[in-house]
Amino acid sequence: MALNSRRQFLYQSVTGVGGIALLDLLRGDLAQAAPTLGAPAGPHHTPKARSVIFLAMLGGVSQMDTFDPKPALAKFDGTPMDWSKEKLTDQPGLFARKRVIVASPFAFRKHGQCGMDVSELLPNLATCVDDIAFVRSVQADNGNHPAAVFLMNTGFVQPGNPSMGAWLTYGLGAQNRNLPAYVALPDFRSIPFSGAQQWGSGFLPAVYQGTVMRWKGDPIRDLRRPDDISEETRQNQLDLLRSFNAEHASRHLSNTELAARMDSYELAYRMQTEVPGALDLAAETPATRESYGLNDPVTESFGKRCLMARKLVEKGVRFVQIYTPSQSWDAHGDIRKNHTKNAQETDKPIAALLKDLKQRGMLDSTLVVCTGEFGRTPDTPADQKEQGRDHNIKAFTVWFAGGGIRGGSIVGQTNELGFKAVEEVYHIRDVHATILHQMGLNDLRLTYYHAGRNRRLTDTGGRVIRSIIG
Amino acid sequence: MNPALIVMAAAVALAQQSPDQNLFNTEILPVVSKACAGCHDGTKAQSDLVVTSLDGLIKGGRRGAAIVPGSASASLLIQYIKGDRGPRMPLGGAPLNAAAMDRLARAINALAPRAATPASGREQHLAWLLKAPRRPATPAVSGSSWVRNPIDAFVLSRLESAGMRPAPPASPRALLRRLYFGLIGLPPTPAEARAFLEDRSADAYERLVDRLLADPRYGARWARHWLDLARYAESDGFAIDGERPAAWRYRDYVIRSFNANKPYDEFVKEQLAGDEAGGGPERLVAMGFLRMSTWEADANSKQQLRQDFLNEVTGTTSAVFLGLTAGCAQCHDHKYDPIPQRDFYRLQAFFAATAIEESNAPFIPAEDPGEMRRRFRRYEDALETATAGLDQRREALKQRFMAIRKVKEDHQTVKDFLRDLGVRNAFFQERDKDILDQGEWKSYREAKDQVDELTETVRRYRPVAYTVRDVTPPQVPAIHDTYVLQSGELAAKAEKVEPGFLESIAGHRNPAVIPFKGGSSGRRTALAEWISSAENPLTARVMANRVWQHHFGEGIVRTPSDFGINGERPTHPELLDWLAAEFVARKWSVKDLHRLILTSNTWRQSVENEQAPRYATDDPGNRLLWRQNWQRLDSEVLRDTLLSLSGRLNAAQGGPGALFEVPADVAEGFEFFKWFPSPAAEQNRRSIYTFQRRSVVDPLMETFDVANNSGTCARRIPTVVAPQALTLMNGDLANLAARHFAGRVTGGSPGESIRNAFQAALQRDPSPAELDRAQTLLARDTSGLRHLAVVLFNLNEFLYLE
Repeated sequence: MALNSRRQFLYQSVTGVGGIALLDLLRGDLAQAAPTLGAPAGPHHTPKARSVIFLAMLGGVSQMDTFDPKPALAKFDGTPMDWSKEKLTDQPGLFARKRVIVASPFAFRKHGQCGMDVSELLPNLATCVDDIAFVRSVQADNGNHPAAVFLMNTGFVQPGNPSMGAWLTYGLGAQNRNLPAYVALPDFRSIPFSGAQQWGSGFLPAVYQGTVMRWKGDPIRDLRRPDDISEETRQNQLDLLRSFNAEHASRHLSNTELAARMDSYELAYRMQTEVPGALDLAAETPATRESYGLNDPVTESFGKRCLMARKLVEKGVRFVQIYTPSQSWDAHGDIRKNHTKNAQETDKPIAALLKDLKQRGMLDSTLVVCTGEFGRTPDTPADQKEQGRDHNIKAFTVWFAGGGIRGGSIVGQTNELGFKAVEEVYHIRDVHATILHQMGLNDLRLTYYHAGRNRRLTDTGGRVIRSIIG
Repeated sequence: MNPALIVMAAAVALAQQSPDQNLFNTEILPVVSKACAGCHDGTKAQSDLVVTSLDGLIKGGRRGAAIVPGSASASLLIQYIKGDRGPRMPLGGAPLNAAAMDRLARAINALAPRAATPASGREQHLAWLLKAPRRPATPAVSGSSWVRNPIDAFVLSRLESAGMRPAPPASPRALLRRLYFGLIGLPPTPAEARAFLEDRSADAYERLVDRLLADPRYGARWARHWLDLARYAESDGFAIDGERPAAWRYRDYVIRSFNANKPYDEFVKEQLAGDEAGGGPERLVAMGFLRMSTWEADANSKQQLRQDFLNEVTGTTSAVFLGLTAGCAQCHDHKYDPIPQRDFYRLQAFFAATAIEESNAPFIPAEDPGEMRRRFRRYEDALETATAGLDQRREALKQRFMAIRKVKEDHQTVKDFLRDLGVRNAFFQERDKDILDQGEWKSYREAKDQVDELTETVRRYRPVAYTVRDVTPPQVPAIHDTYVLQSGELAAKAEKVEPGFLESIAGHRNPAVIPFKGGSSGRRTALAEWISSAENPLTARVMANRVWQHHFGEGIVRTPSDFGINGERPTHPELLDWLAAEFVARKWSVKDLHRLILTSNTWRQSVENEQAPRYATDDPGNRLLWRQNWQRLDSEVLRDTLLSLSGRLNAAQGGPGALFEVPADVAEGFEFFKWFPSPAAEQNRRSIYTFQRRSVVDPLMETFDVANNSGTCARRIPTVVAPQALTLMNGDLANLAARHFAGRVTGGSPGESIRNAFQAALQRDPSPAELDRAQTLLARDTSGLRHLAVVLFNLNEFLYLE
């Protein structure tokens, strides 16, 4: 069948879109991929970044204890907090109690040539500020963790929508035929709410969903053949499978999905060999391993996953997402204890990742994004013994590095007490728009038709954060 | 109404547009969408004029055609905007500037003149959709010998018009597989296959259809399709993902309903208003349909949570029963269908008194009340013992703590210690090393886990229904009013509305007449009666289409929950009308529909038509049905088939579902609960009897495209991905099944074993070449048969039904 009609047939076939994208991706020929409803194959404009590493600091990082120092907190420490003037549609119950302001227990200093404020929690990251763009004025919609994490991942507070990684893979395809294009690295001590839906494909074809990898044991589920099957047996099985399938397909040339499925077996087989190799951490130098904190049980989990991310991106994986344990940064109780613990687990590996990417000349083409699902309040319930901070959707800091971002930028401002973005205010969907933009995609044009509408990651559209783009 | 959206929608419309259409999109629509669509869009259509489509302008409204293609001066539109005719348009708005008027005039002049054409496209579709179908006459065809029943006549008539011929009949083996997997979701045994394939009697096929329809496993297969629509799950979703211990009774209700061939209109009424129709435990369980969606148990605003529930129920009811996307009108008028925002809230008002409820609902005989009671007592007793044991340990540890730390019982540190012992996902605290060591701590955790597991298990055997009831005076002063919410915002109440049916169908916007239902509001009954009425234009068509969809892979309307403007047009509208009329005439019998479809020649066609190269160019989507469509085994059928072939399928029906095994770290990784896999014997139950927790999806199911249960799912999208290959080649289920399967098919010689294997898995003998290659595999290795089995399970032929 001529290519044109094959493409047409695939386009119209019962099993539709998913089959095309994979088939043509497998052929490594993005130009051949049939136009899916709305999205072009390949980028809309020249991309700056080829891959994204997204660091999800679950629980909500306190901006005023990390990147957004507020002297007023110390000045008003212990005094009552008045929320009555704020129109709080979120968490009304929480703010009905008496609350008092809490000073930051952490000292701030200015760092780098850009003079960015970083607290003593993050001494390692502080040495990288000249490569980082900080946006202090980001807002979200919903102060409940699951809804907020969905918003961070999928652009909507309800479940059922495709995640960022799925959109990116849908828009750009895979670069490496032997690896999944989108990898999720959750912390199995506590996976994010709704687990697989956070890296899911929603209404996009399932081929775009994230593949979970683990940092201990088998990276991908069912990757290894069973212990009692030798390589020789496996080869014999695959030979048999190929020949029986080929004979069957030859009698049914009209069903091109049969060929696509045969190809998926070849890909699976290549993944079996490629993935362990790609993730062989022992192949790294001892110095590298140490820098990521692999030798310290505190930093081992996050560090290993950061190193895996670098290696995956090196092999062309498009989107890697690393999660802290669910709600880990959620410091309602004791801000000092909580954030100290979480910073200890993540600060060193993140800095190592940035430096490693830079040293290998990968930082320019790799966009690194770091955020929680929302920020925190300047105050705490008055009758609470410990000094914590609660959820705050009106201001939090998101930082970007690499992928064409202008390092050393400091954008946006919050109000005196740090709970509301007041200058150059952005929304999470603007973060999404910016990510897509750096990857060569226009968030308005990247659409998929579902249930009566052309859908987008950014819904009705986001703003690219121009002031951080180099 | 956002003009930009209309423009975008037009711009995004698929290719192959006429020059006139292009002209309309680029020159006319941008102007009229801004200036005129506020009053003249599809919903408001003042004076019956719709300006957002070319057809609408040409057809015009009450004053006649709005434009005359080729002549701006003769076009009423130009006359009104210039003020040559009054009242000047836009009414109440600033007149268009000269540039805009000029742009419109030039575009109209450039349109190709045409004879006055009747309404087409949108209007035609709506005219068809919104009127109850009358049974059309069966068309005459040349090839009348091919017609087994009217379905064939309708299909053949279209084929003949297109100069096409249907495909030859599929082989008996192909039909056998389709019927078994399609109707009961399991393969035939070799004996059953042989019996059918060797039966030469004229009605062997029809008898097989009847036999499978009467098989209790049919209900389990077809219930799954309904559960997808009903967004069925046994937990709340979101953070806490709390269990719904009684939800499984709804699943069994659906299975029973399909097996009993419950008339569809009754099925609808029970699920929407079973309590108001005399109640009884089964009907209470049926209304679980209204509660199946997600529920944010820790929502901050209870009012918003309530509104979310109402919005979801309204949208889902509309989608599932009426095939309309009324949910799109939650925040604004529907952009395409004639569903104003007001109609969304008038529909919602039927649920204004509906509160969620866990009602007492004794087990009915079909649920085996004796067994439920026995299990309840057994688990309750075990729980009591386990709890007592745990309490003893706690007490002992408490005493030890008090002694070692030298504190009194009411000291805060004692409370903290006991609290930490009880926290889920707790880690051993180094600071407590002097009180107990890690070994003893682990042992305590295991005892606690046992108590937690038993607590969960006991709850599932309580005779309660996960249901709703209406709260009416005198329990409350009045039923809550329903308001149109501007932009869907709770705080922005606009006009108050009464319960009422969709205006575009009812023909008016009067409030619905609500029957008196003492103790309840009667509202849901009114809605259920309207939906399930034979006069409702949508209900029968939508359900007939769904049944068709599962037998053909695609519905006659390929967007089964969207029959509106943005959905697909029916490929065979008269056929669908005929099926709908027949469905109602046969008292809404779903099994009769199955029989009609499955005995038609259309359905029995092969997937191969020798004219395919030519036909595929003209009709690549096989809309005219010149062959049958390939279908793939879906995830449940795949899993059940592997279990069945291995001889280990646990055929137990009904009752609480089985929790499948997951890796240990995954079991521990849930914040608010621990996952306790069911005992080994339960692991092999049919997939429909597995416990459906929203946050814990069986990896095999997930990778083979199980439905996303966050919302109603009318169609699963099967994909082809590498992890499927990994799971089926390397995964536990396939390999374990292969091992047992090999044991079952082992014969006296390698050749016999291979033949047995092919017969069991594929219902045919191996070809000489296949036999030869398989024998080589077996010769190499004593486990060769097992290795062959894995190959068979991975074949395209195994997974795809021709």
